[in-house]
Amino acid sequence: MEKFLKRYPISDLIFAFISFSASFIVFSLIIATAYVLYDESSLAMHRFGLLNFIFSAEWDPVKEVFGAAASLYGTLVTTILSLLFAIPVSIGIAIFLTEISPHILKTPIGIAVEMLAAIPSIIYGMWGLFTLAPIMANYIEPFLQKTLGKIPLIGLLFQGTPQGIDLFTASVVLSIMITPFITSVARDALNLTPDIMKESAYALGATKWEVVKDIMIPYAKLGIYGGIVLALGRALGETMAVAFVLGNNHQITLSLFEAAATITVTLANEFTEADTDIYLSSLFYLALILFTLSFIILAIAKFFLLKAERGYTR
Amino acid sequence: MIYNPSYVKKRKIKSYTALFLSTTAAFLGLFWLGFILWDVLRHGLEGLNLELFLEDPAPPGIPGGGLRNAFVGQLLIVFYATIIGVPIGLLAGIFIAEYARGTKYARTISILSDIMVSVPSIVVGTFIYAILVKPVGYINWGGLVAVGFLSAIISVIFGGLLSFIFKLVFPVKSAGAGKFVRLLVALITVLFGVVVFLFLSQKLVDKIQGFNGWAGAVSLAFIMIPVVLRTTEDMLSLVPWTLREAAFALGASYYNVIKDVVVRASITGILTGVILSIARVAGETAPLLFTSFNNSYFTTNMNEPIASLTVTIFNYAMGPYEDWHVKAWAASLVITLFILAITIITRTIVGIKYKK
Repeated sequence: MEKFLKRYPISDLIFAFISFSASFIVFSLIIATAYVLYDESSLAMHRFGLLNFIFSAEWDPVKEVFGAAASLYGTLVTTILSLLFAIPVSIGIAIFLTEISPHILKTPIGIAVEMLAAIPSIIYGMWGLFTLAPIMANYIEPFLQKTLGKIPLIGLLFQGTPQGIDLFTASVVLSIMITPFITSVARDALNLTPDIMKESAYALGATKWEVVKDIMIPYAKLGIYGGIVLALGRALGETMAVAFVLGNNHQITLSLFEAAATITVTLANEFTEADTDIYLSSLFYLALILFTLSFIILAIAKFFLLKAERGYTR
Repeated sequence: MIYNPSYVKKRKIKSYTALFLSTTAAFLGLFWLGFILWDVLRHGLEGLNLELFLEDPAPPGIPGGGLRNAFVGQLLIVFYATIIGVPIGLLAGIFIAEYARGTKYARTISILSDIMVSVPSIVVGTFIYAILVKPVGYINWGGLVAVGFLSAIISVIFGGLLSFIFKLVFPVKSAGAGKFVRLLVALITVLFGVVVFLFLSQKLVDKIQGFNGWAGAVSLAFIMIPVVLRTTEDMLSLVPWTLREAAFALGASYYNVIKDVVVRASITGILTGVILSIARVAGETAPLLFTSFNNSYFTTNMNEPIASLTVTIFNYAMGPYEDWHVKAWAASLVITLFILAITIITRTIVGIKYKK
């Protein structure tokens, strides 16, 4: 006993115990979140069931009938659309930062892009509502209707009166917000390509773009996937920016120029108004679905990034 | 075929086109940043004046007044969130980087907190709502935790002062007496902490009556913990292992090594992480929407709904009055400047400190 105390003095034991409890809090917070959300939504779970809840588009607080389909659809459309906008741009920025930019510009542009991630989402919301939405409504959306809207089938996506408060504007704002996440991960991944591989390709007469396309991107593939999935998780859970520019309208529309709702917007707008137990429970159910979805997606992102890391150190 | 000049030309054109597009993408990113910042600055300066900080809001629709309640509320919420989140994050980071280094447990916690950083903040709000707002009439655990950490920090500072005074007044010669003095100081410190806790919790924490400021502080702390944890872990693992071995060889216990060697070597990085985490939560809105809610009156009572800048911006921007919009922009400008200044300053410090 005396030897043990000499090896591990009492102060060490106390500190180890306290810091262990602190680290355990992280673990228990996640479990507690999952459990509490599950518990709170059990009422809605029993009333509507999982599949019924997910596939029913009716959201009627008066009749007390709730379905998540409209919110899920809004989440899905804004997320996919914002990724479509963000992926090319952010990979382009990453390529610029690693291969094209003069050395002196690398740091300032890198910091500028990361500042996009530091701006709070509510600022994006303000900007989207008061500045971007009018521009969208007056110039960009009518323009899209005149050009792409004339094409059969694709034209269906651009129907309606452009108001600026719609799925399209929300996706644009979201895409700006998630760009820095993909960029910084992709840049780090591209940076790790061994110089000797690039030099070998150049020696064979490859152009710069061929080096990027055939050497660097395949090498950094896993890291880029990780960044994209991470951004997907971010876009899924973004609340305030979307709440400003999406309206809150529970409908499933093919047109991108219509107000809609996402899970996060529904929660933000209706949580404090929920006056019946089943209403509140349905909102908790939505939160549980969002939590589960984003947890799974972020875990996949982490899996990619860890795998990429292991690959590089090989 | 490869040496055919027209083929080479085609490849070159393709290469230049792709590189041009990448450069355009980079400028697009810069354009968005400039556009947003310029817009916030342009609108924000319109409403920025001294009354904004010093006066309470006027009744809806009547121009004038300020957002003093929101500034004070925001400070209070972020202060208590820091008090809860930073110690937990720091200690947890130290545990997984030192005691549990390389174990499965450390890896799991590290991965989980990476995921927690990105979990939608509105989900955090719903979780805290369920445990700290909905159970009306129960004891407010969030408030007790916050006050607990507050009194712990106060008593640690008190203990430090006390042992300093003891050293000045009774210079100790023998090892036995030194041990006794240390024990005495520790005992007094703990007693002092308990007394402070009992006093403050009586005074500050009430039963839950609905939306309350404590819930807001706890939900921000929830977001802070993983951020602080990850940066602490990263910074501690940058300290070379040989430094610890040198201290071990002198017979120091692990606690002493952590306290006097590891943390001291990485204190800049750790503090940077703490400040960045404060900047991160200062802009959060979603978790506050249904925890601390909003209050159009001035209050410092954390048991009531309490105004925060971000929620006020949301309500004012969605409101019908032109004057509200001006105020929302001004508040946005203040928050943006605060966060960007912190981000740039800390990045510069880290850049200087860890330059290779």
